[in-house]
Amino acid sequence: MKNISLTPRMLITAILLSLGLIIAAVPKNTTKPYKLTAPQILDELKSGTQYLEPEQVAQMLVEKDPYLQLIDIRPQNEFEKFSLQGAINIPLDNLLSEDYTEIFDQDVKLNVFYGNGTTQANEGWMLLRQLGYSNIYVLRGGLNYWAEAILNPTAPPSTSPNDDLAKYDFRRGASQALGGGEMAASQQSSKSPAAKVPGPKPAGKKKKVAGGCS
Amino acid sequence: MSENRKSNYMNPYLAGVLLGLVVIAANFISGRSVGASGAIKSTIIAGVETIAPAHAESATFYKEYTDGHKGNPLNNWLVYQMLGVLVGGFLSGILSKRLTWKVEHNPKITSRTRLLFALGGGILFGIGSQFGRGCTSGSALSGMAVLSLGGFISMMAIFGTAFALAYFFRKLWI
Amino acid sequence: MGPLVVNEIISENTNLLLAFFVGIAFGFVLEQGGFSSSRKLAGVFYGYDTVVLKVFFTGAVTAMLGLLFLSLFGWIDLNLVYVNETFLQSAIIGGVVMGAGFIMGGYCPGTSFCGAAIGKIDAMIFIVGLFIGVFIFAEGYPLWEGIYKAGFMGSPRISEFFGVSEGILALLVIVAAVLMFWGGEWAEKKFPREEY
Repeated sequence: MKNISLTPRMLITAILLSLGLIIAAVPKNTTKPYKLTAPQILDELKSGTQYLEPEQVAQMLVEKDPYLQLIDIRPQNEFEKFSLQGAINIPLDNLLSEDYTEIFDQDVKLNVFYGNGTTQANEGWMLLRQLGYSNIYVLRGGLNYWAEAILNPTAPPSTSPNDDLAKYDFRRGASQALGGGEMAASQQSSKSPAAKVPGPKPAGKKKKVAGGCS
Repeated sequence: MSENRKSNYMNPYLAGVLLGLVVIAANFISGRSVGASGAIKSTIIAGVETIAPAHAESATFYKEYTDGHKGNPLNNWLVYQMLGVLVGGFLSGILSKRLTWKVEHNPKITSRTRLLFALGGGILFGIGSQFGRGCTSGSALSGMAVLSLGGFISMMAIFGTAFALAYFFRKLWI
Repeated sequence: MGPLVVNEIISENTNLLLAFFVGIAFGFVLEQGGFSSSRKLAGVFYGYDTVVLKVFFTGAVTAMLGLLFLSLFGWIDLNLVYVNETFLQSAIIGGVVMGAGFIMGGYCPGTSFCGAAIGKIDAMIFIVGLFIGVFIFAEGYPLWEGIYKAGFMGSPRISEFFGVSEGILALLVIVAAVLMFWGGEWAEKKFPREEY
């Protein structure tokens, strides 16, 4: 048999190609071993980045946005009485059950928590955030505010700025599309916390990395 | 003047693997990679802030930088890294006995020509590195390591242009 | 685990110290690989010396593989690693201008520092040029701010752009790099130059 001398070129070719084949064959590591520290979560909580505005969610519901995953965090009996379209029920008590990890551990759908108010949803958000899941959001105001703002919108005085009128029109439309009106009407005018017109979908929150040559 | 120079250098593949390990280490430590032009930018900004603070406050370029960065621009990962490069290159030069003051050029051109083109090349590279948001190290090498689309585009533009222009500057090199 | 700074395992000052050591290793490897010589660097464009090609692409491929494997073992979170932003027009313009600078000056910024460290006067002049260039860019910034910021595409990875997995893309890059190595060594035989 002829002797083949191993040149550096052949060596590097062999090593790189075999490693390349391995990396191409194995699935990407998707475990999330990095937990957030308490101050980081507090920061996020303070800045309120976890909230999605009801208008935004309503818009996604109307458009039947496939990326929206509403999660009702209340107990099962309450969920059965009333729930939002397409929502699934994951009571807070069962949040950490293994059955649900598949729902949280993905980067495609937006998981939006809601309860009656925001307390329960926020608790759930904090728990999961601490485990490193990043695509968890909270419906601002919960169902109470949803009923007020989306299902039974109150017309603003005709002297209101155009923005408010446009918002009202949108809510009326959404209300009809989502079959609202039968819930108890609330009389107070909706003093909404600067609800935004639905914008682009929120991007996954990432820790900021400095870098590059700049 | 170039006896057995070739054998004096490390095998390029070995050097490449080591280079890759350096990039991995940088990413592992700070989540960012190597880069040279950023250090120059920081130095320029620090210089302008010291010499002409009023100008640094009014001109957009400096303002955008100071808005995005806190503290002294020289207190920067890339600046420290480039100081290290000087030390590392020097150590390697001692080890391989390559420390000499000289203008390296093709015998067919004069030192003067070589230095003029080096200056011109440097100016172009300086401008280009800002547009490309990083030079061959910061944009192309680091970018490829993290599979950045921008890094690949820069890399192909750099090498493609250099190949395309090689013919016109052949007198400088061959 | 990694990246250590982002995960607050080491402090910002330790980070800067480590940057210095990373720099030393970087400079050492570049110099050992022959990147301190402009004639060696320029050789790749004429085929007589393809050391740049070999070192650069071996380095890039090693780093790419290393990061993917570290991520696979859970030692580094690639989501926290900086991915260069892509501004299409600006990246192309910058690359073209840098390519012209490369063939004229014979260095790129990193290698010029390396050359300067061992006493190459042309490298030092190149660095002076770099400073002038960056200064020109800074002073004329309002003129090209528009084009500088045009075509923003976020920070996409090529794998995301083409919709394939990172591993498969890595394999493709490796195959391309290996082909270049073989082509490079062929070119060195075809366009040999003894004295330079």
